[in-house]
Amino acid sequence: MEQPKKRRGVNRLLFLLVLIGSVFACVTFTPIMPHVQLAAEPVTAGPLFADFYITNTLVAVLIADVILIILALAIRRQIRKGVIVLTGIPGAFAAILEGFYGMTVSTAGKWAKKIFPYFATIFLLVLIVNLMSLFPGIDTIGILRPVEPGHDGYAIEPVVGEIYTIKEAEHDEAEEAGHDEGALAEEAGHDEEAESVGHDEEALYGFFPFVRVASTDLNFTLSLAIISVVMTQVLGFQALGKGNLTKYWNAQGLKEAWKKPQFGNPMSLIISFIQLIAGLLEIIPEIAKVFSFTFRLFGVIFAGSVLLFFIGSKIGAVGQTGVLFLELLFGPLQAFVFGMLTMVFMSLATQSHGHADEEQH
Amino acid sequence: MEADAARLIGASVAMLGTIGAGLGIGMIGMGAVQGIARNPDAAGDIQTNMILSIAFAEAVAIYCLMVALLLVFVA
Repeated sequence: MEQPKKRRGVNRLLFLLVLIGSVFACVTFTPIMPHVQLAAEPVTAGPLFADFYITNTLVAVLIADVILIILALAIRRQIRKGVIVLTGIPGAFAAILEGFYGMTVSTAGKWAKKIFPYFATIFLLVLIVNLMSLFPGIDTIGILRPVEPGHDGYAIEPVVGEIYTIKEAEHDEAEEAGHDEGALAEEAGHDEEAESVGHDEEALYGFFPFVRVASTDLNFTLSLAIISVVMTQVLGFQALGKGNLTKYWNAQGLKEAWKKPQFGNPMSLIISFIQLIAGLLEIIPEIAKVFSFTFRLFGVIFAGSVLLFFIGSKIGAVGQTGVLFLELLFGPLQAFVFGMLTMVFMSLATQSHGHADEEQH
Repeated sequence: MEADAARLIGASVAMLGTIGAGLGIGMIGMGAVQGIARNPDAAGDIQTNMILSIAFAEAVAIYCLMVALLLVFVA
C-alpha cells in the first residue's frame, strides 16, 4: 500500500530534522543549568493573597488533575457506550487498576473495597506527576530572575529587544536542550521565554521554570505521606475499634497478672512488661513511615530531575536520552511503591495483634 | 579548609552509603531467583515482592544521593 510507506518515511525524516535542529541549536546557544533549589519557586511576581504564592509545582499538580479528570471522563464515555473491554489508553489504565485490585484483594481480604481507593488514587496521581517530567516544556520553559547574592547565576545581556543572551564569558542563551526522544513530530523543547526582570547587567540571573515536577516539592510528598499514615490509623480504628489502641499499649499480660498473681512464675510478669514496652515502641515506626514515604519519593524524583538538568546542560542535544529512560522506569515504579506500601500498611492495620502472623498468600 | 572544598568532600563521602544498598539489592535478587528456581509457579508473587523490597533497599541509597545533591547544589 502506498500510504503506510509514505508515513513511515515522513516520520523518520521529521525525527532526523528535529535531531539536527536541536544539535544546531545547542551549538549556537549552549544550554544552561536551571536554578536548583529545594523550595518550589513562585510563578507570579507577587502573592495571590496574603502569603500564598502560586508555585511551579502547584501548576504541575493542577495540570495532573486536569489530565486525570480527562482520563476519568474518557473511561466514563466508553462505559456508557456499553463497551465491556475498554480499549486505548483508558483501557490500559483499567487493566492496570484491575491488576492492582486483585493484589489488594489477595492482601487485604474483605477490606479491599476501603483500601483500594487510597492505593489507586495515590498511584494515579504520583504516576501522572512523575511522567510529566518527560514532556517537553516541563522544567524547560521559564523565566529569568535575579538570584540572591550567595548563589550561582549567569550574567545576561540583551540581544534583540526583550530577548536576552548570556554574556559570552560564561554560556549562551537561557535555553535548555529539548527532550529529544520523540519519534513523532513533537517539538523538542527549544522554547525559551527569556524575559528579564531587571535591566541591570551586573546582577546574576538564574532560570526558573514555569512548571516543575511536583514530586520534587517536599510539600507534595509530605502531604501524601501524612494522608497515608493518618488514614491507615483511621482504618485501624474502623476495623478494630479500641483494639487499635491495644496494639500500642499492650497491657493485657499485666492485666492478667494483676487478676491472678503468679508468684511461682516471675518470668511471665517480666514478659508482660516487655510486651508493654514493645507495644509502645511500635509508635516509632509509624512516625518513621511518614519520613520514609516522603523522602523515598522526593529523593528519587529530585535526584532524577537534577541529573536531567546537569546532563542536559553539559552534553546538549541527545545527552538527556538515557536519563529520560531512567525517569520513565523510576517514576511509575516509585508511584507503585508508594501506593503498594500504603495498601500493605492499611491491610496490616486491619488485622489485630494476635492474627498478625497468619495472613497473605 | 574552605567551606566549598568541605562541601564537595562531604558530598562524595555521603555517596559511600550506596555500597550497602548495592549489597542489599543483590541479596534480594539472589533470594528471589532462588525462590523462583524452587517454585516456578510462584514466579509472579515472588517478582512482586522482590520489586517491593528492591524499592525499599534503593530508598536508602536515594537518601544518600539526596544528601550529596543537597550539599553540591543547594547548600
